[in-house]
Amino acid sequence: MTEVGPHLFWVTSRAAGIAAMILASGSLGVGLLIRGRGEPRRLLGSDARALHEALSLATIVAIAIHGLALLGDSYLHPSPLDIAVPFTGAYRPLWTGLGIVSGWGIAALGLSYYARSRIGAARWRLLHRFIAIFWALGLVHTLGAGSDAGQLWLLLAIAAPAVPAALLLLGRLAESAGQPREPQLSARRGPAAPAGR
Amino acid sequence: MDEMRKLEAKGLARAKSRSRRRRVATIRSRTIRGSLALFAILWAVVFVQLASGNDPVLSQKPKAERRSATANSTARESASEPVREPAPEFEQVESEPEAEFEEVPPELEFEEEAPVEIEEPLVTSSS
Repeated sequence: MTEVGPHLFWVTSRAAGIAAMILASGSLGVGLLIRGRGEPRRLLGSDARALHEALSLATIVAIAIHGLALLGDSYLHPSPLDIAVPFTGAYRPLWTGLGIVSGWGIAALGLSYYARSRIGAARWRLLHRFIAIFWALGLVHTLGAGSDAGQLWLLLAIAAPAVPAALLLLGRLAESAGQPREPQLSARRGPAAPAGR
Repeated sequence: MDEMRKLEAKGLARAKSRSRRRRVATIRSRTIRGSLALFAILWAVVFVQLASGNDPVLSQKPKAERRSATANSTARESASEPVREPAPEFEQVESEPEAEFEEVPPELEFEEEAPVEIEEPLVTSSS
C-alpha cells in the first residue's frame, strides 16, 4: 500500500488531464458531425451545437484543472511559468511543452467563438479548423508524458472517443481536398447543399 | 382573420424557441453532470491504482532501486519507499546522504592512527 496523501494534487491533475482528452475528442467528433460539407446535417443543428459548446467548455475547464493542480504537487512543485510557458519546465520538457501548446491552442481557439462577431464569421471558421492540430498535439502529449500512458484502461478510454473523431476528421479532410468518399450517393442526392454554417 | 393567424404564428414561434431553450439547457446540464462524473471516475481509478501500489510510475522506481540495493548489498530505508520519477532537483537531494556516508571513513582513520604511540617512548627517551 502506498501513502496517497502527498500525491493528491498529482492524482487530480492526472484525472483532469485524461478527462480533458476524452472531452476534447468528444467535442471534436460532435463538431465534425454538425455538418459535413456538401451533405445535409446529420444531427439537429442547435442540439449538436449546444453539445459541442458544452463539451468544449468542459474541456477547457479540465485543461485548467490539469495544469493548476500541478502547482500544488509537493514533488514536482512547478512554478506558474513552468505550467504556462512551453518547453521551460524541468520535467519532460518536450512532452509537457507540447501539452502546454495544445492547452493554450484549444483554449484560445475554443473561446474565440465568443469573439466571432469581431473576428468575422469566415475568418473564425478558418481559424476554428486549426483546433484539430491542437487536439492531435494533446493526444501526443497524453501518450508521451502521461503517467498512465502504458495502461490498457487509459488507452481504451482515450481511443474510444478519439478513434471515431480521427475518422471523422480524416473524412472531412478528404472531402475538403475534393475527394468525395461516396461519389455515387452524392450524385444520387443531386445538387450539394451550401457549405459552412 | 389575418391578425388571428399572426398571433397563432407568434405563439408557435415562442413555443418553439422556448422548447429549444429548454432542450439546450438540458443538454448543458447533462454535459456538466457527465463531465463531473467522468472526472470523478477517473480520479477514483487513479487513486485506487496508486493506493493499491499498482501505480505505473511509483511501482517502476522501487524495482530499479531494489536491483541496485541488492548489488551494493546495502539496504537503505529510502529504497523501500516508492519514489516518483526523479526530477532534477530531487536527484541532488538524494545524492547528499551518499556524500555523508563517504565522509565517515576519514574519522575512522583518525581513530586507527591513535594507537601509534611510538612517539611517547621517543619523547621520554629524549627527556
